[in-house]
Amino acid sequence: MNFRLRAASVIAKRRIFESCLSPGFYIAQAVGLLLSYFLISGFVSSIDSSGFNYMLHPLYELIGRSLAGAFGATFLEKLFAEGPFQFVFYVSFVPVFLYLSFSTVFHFGLEKKVGAIELLAYGPVDGTSYFLAFYIKDVALTVLYQLLLVLFLSAAALLNNLFLGPAFLYVLVVIFFMALMLYTLSILASVLTDGGASAMALYIGIILLFLIVMMGSFTIASGYVRSFSSVLSWVINWVSPFFYWGLALSSVEAGNTLNYFLILLVMAALSGLFLFLSHLVIKIKGVRP
Amino acid sequence: MKGLFILFFIFISIVPVVADVPVRQEQLIYSIMAFNGKDYSGTFCGENSDTIYLIADQDNFITARKTLVYYWPITGDWKTDTSALNYPFEGTLELTEKGRESRIINPERYTFYNIKGEYELNWEVATGDEAEKAWQHYQGLIEQYWQATSQYQQAKTTFDMMMNELAKKITEMRNSGIDVTELVEKLKALKSPEAPQPPDDYIVPPSPVQSAFILNLPRGEYNIRFIDGDDAVLEGSEKRVVVFEKRRADGIGFEVIPGDKWTRPVESKSPSSVLYVDGTTNLYLRPFFQDEFNDLFYQKMVKNDARGNPSLMNWVRIQQVPGARIELTGNNHTSEVLLEEPFYVEQTKGSALGYKIVPFDPEGVHKDRDPSLIAFRVPVNRERSLIKIKLLDKNGLNLASSSRQVRVIIKSRWQPLLFLLCLLPLLAMAVVRIIRSRKYSL
Amino acid sequence: MIRTRGLVKKYGNFTAVDNLDLNIPSGEIYGFLGPNGAGKTSTILMILGIIRPTAGEVFLFEEKYTPDRLDMRNKIGVVPEKHPQGVWSWMTAFEYLQMFADLFDLKRVYKDTQARIDYLLQQVDLHSVRNKRIAEFSRGMLQKLSIIRALLHDPDILFLDEPISGLDPIGIKQIRDLILAENREGRTIFISSHLLSEMEKLCHRVAIIYKGKLLAEDNMSSLLAKLIKDREILIDLESLPPDLADSLKELPFVLDTTTRDNTLVIKVSKKGDFRKDLSSYLIKKNLVPLRIEEKALSLEEAFVTITNENIDMFTEIGGRE
Repeated sequence: MNFRLRAASVIAKRRIFESCLSPGFYIAQAVGLLLSYFLISGFVSSIDSSGFNYMLHPLYELIGRSLAGAFGATFLEKLFAEGPFQFVFYVSFVPVFLYLSFSTVFHFGLEKKVGAIELLAYGPVDGTSYFLAFYIKDVALTVLYQLLLVLFLSAAALLNNLFLGPAFLYVLVVIFFMALMLYTLSILASVLTDGGASAMALYIGIILLFLIVMMGSFTIASGYVRSFSSVLSWVINWVSPFFYWGLALSSVEAGNTLNYFLILLVMAALSGLFLFLSHLVIKIKGVRP
Repeated sequence: MKGLFILFFIFISIVPVVADVPVRQEQLIYSIMAFNGKDYSGTFCGENSDTIYLIADQDNFITARKTLVYYWPITGDWKTDTSALNYPFEGTLELTEKGRESRIINPERYTFYNIKGEYELNWEVATGDEAEKAWQHYQGLIEQYWQATSQYQQAKTTFDMMMNELAKKITEMRNSGIDVTELVEKLKALKSPEAPQPPDDYIVPPSPVQSAFILNLPRGEYNIRFIDGDDAVLEGSEKRVVVFEKRRADGIGFEVIPGDKWTRPVESKSPSSVLYVDGTTNLYLRPFFQDEFNDLFYQKMVKNDARGNPSLMNWVRIQQVPGARIELTGNNHTSEVLLEEPFYVEQTKGSALGYKIVPFDPEGVHKDRDPSLIAFRVPVNRERSLIKIKLLDKNGLNLASSSRQVRVIIKSRWQPLLFLLCLLPLLAMAVVRIIRSRKYSL
Repeated sequence: MIRTRGLVKKYGNFTAVDNLDLNIPSGEIYGFLGPNGAGKTSTILMILGIIRPTAGEVFLFEEKYTPDRLDMRNKIGVVPEKHPQGVWSWMTAFEYLQMFADLFDLKRVYKDTQARIDYLLQQVDLHSVRNKRIAEFSRGMLQKLSIIRALLHDPDILFLDEPISGLDPIGIKQIRDLILAENREGRTIFISSHLLSEMEKLCHRVAIIYKGKLLAEDNMSSLLAKLIKDREILIDLESLPPDLADSLKELPFVLDTTTRDNTLVIKVSKKGDFRKDLSSYLIKKNLVPLRIEEKALSLEEAFVTITNENIDMFTEIGGRE
């Protein structure tokens, strides 16, 4: 086990360094921060004497109508109850999350294909330590970006007299755990398939499936989507990061903090389970292209 | 030829009108009078819907009838045309709960009403003979009131006649130089009859006694179907019944009335939520109790074809909080306690449009008028950027989930700096690339 | 040092390696030959612990070796045929080696890992480009880098797969000298290659595998003696009579004659030295040989590559099927 962790940490350091040299990581962060900026500015412009009114700003009118249409007016009210930061965080997290997880899937497939993992496996590295390195990289850079985002949003809150409250902190933590689960799924998709393209297709397919199931139970669109997903949802929800996200936030809303932390534990355990499954798969399949 | 053209244009102008008349379909529906947490509201469940939603442990009334149903595009909902067709079915309702034997529910005669009290919520339901009694009692009160009114009218007429006669006599006698002191005393002594007060026993008086199936069920899912007089199941009458209960009760919400848009209040229902304002006007708050229900279930209980989110809970306003006080804490951490006060909306005099909200003065300028609103006035301005609010009950105790913040938005001149911060990662990228390329050249 | 016992690898119904027994003592340079599809790669991967054998065992340093034994990997150095394209290309040569130094925890053995890396870079003339990105390296440079990467942690066994492919003659010589030098240090070296000329120069022993079975295993001189059936004798004459080539064919030991300018090329049977006989024959014909030189046909000239077409020859030699 020591060898494995050691190898994972050595390779992970290089992966982090490689990401820090890659323009993609910085561009993704800049895009995330710019989205935050525009959303916060739009929110500030949507305030009148009676409070937040999304009809006052074209960007927020589009957002408000879309969210209300898909998830209902209650969802919109709860989302902006403390201010814009919950919504802003969701949106601005996406570019960096997608960059990190897609680059993992892409690079894993490519490197396996050209024999890089095999080369390392001649040394004190196995497939598990190799994918653990990707995971460590994703987690570390996610933490880094979240810190940057918190600093930026704190500055915005200070400048505009906005409130960065407990709801935002709960969201920050649960999104982190949700990302952990999704990163492990990207690794599972990578080890199950034989190339970057098929891994990407599988990974995107898994995310879309989870999203459809979530939409079936979380949107106000009834009928077809719900009846389609009600059969799948019972099974898929057990392993869906989005399901646990919704459950965690419901617990917070109901004032049940203990339940919230238990759900985070479950999410961490599921991440571990997916990593373990990846370990089994790569052990059986081997590291050769 | 000209005539043909005229006919053609008349025809094409008629066709859209004719085409826009909603299509009425004959349907078997369940009419529902459901308790929604604060009062009774009516809706119906037609053939397009397979589920009825009701609140648990409350009396709800449903009937089966045949009527015309149509879609009204202007409001975007389904409506019934009972004036054209309204055929109530006679029979029983079979209710089945999963894993249990079904039971038969017979229609009952009922009425419901709300009795006056400190709180608004004093609903009573009477069934059978009690319903008749309640209705008759109310009818009796109304009858008494009308009789008293009639007597009053007569007494008033007599009084007015006597007043006129006396006044006429006094005038004549005065003109004749006769002493009218006695008559004047007699005139002054005359008392105008008092108008009778309408019965105020009820907030909502009893409805006329009707017959319906009364469903008062614990939380769960059920199935119903209508059995007609021939013991046959009425085709299309099978429905699912979802009975739900509130998750939390006695939450506190605020109706927020801005000083410049007093006819368009908003509601702050989420506990610990923040009210962002631009600081241009004061706020008038009216606190209310609220209960928490499933969003989808509640919306569909109120209106069966409504939409809602099945995974979210929604706070529903129930009734005002009586005797409350608001504790305000400002930037400088000093607190003050506000009482609920009446206010009057005065229109701006002259040709300018607008109004202002002023304290209600019942003895002065607003005599013989009613206040426009009764609320807590929260002074807001740009200097007071943060106000924390807590609601205290009449005993001075903090009411749970009543805390709110009011924040005045600041449009900072440093906003462009925030934009530049967004580009910081790109700057970092450039620095990293430069350092790295120097290393390559070593 | 390296031992396999009854090694078998099956892919479905196909048997890639069939009951292979190898025994490579410490300090030997061992060549592993065979045509494409013979089972070379599967054998090597099983020895390296990359794939699990269907049956049989692998022993390294007298200990049973399985893919789980990550702790034993620091005693093995491997140079694959190709450096993975497009991977780690952002790293400099030094950073690339530093990564492997960290993987093998080189600090436990060498206090100054930087010095170790610099030393090895100098061995293959790559020190001047230590801060150049791998992406800019030529194929030959990558091959050299790969070799020193494998030597970084001072392994006891070195596995080389086509070690000199892509190298120029100077590079080939450098690598050959390096291999020999490493062997003199006591390293056991296992080479898999198609280039028989190099195997000839480097290996103490060579094994030939075909259809998963060991066909032949012997030292180089014995194997060459078995393989090489004929030799060439080159004779330079002042003048070349036109019928000389044909008349020489009548001699019993001459297999074939050809002429190149004024040089007579005579293929003779490898049994015996016929230069004296040829010289006598020519003198009888009043011809004066200016030069008589014997050129032994090398393994490479006999077989440029071991192919499935000429494998029968090995079957005859090995006597195994």
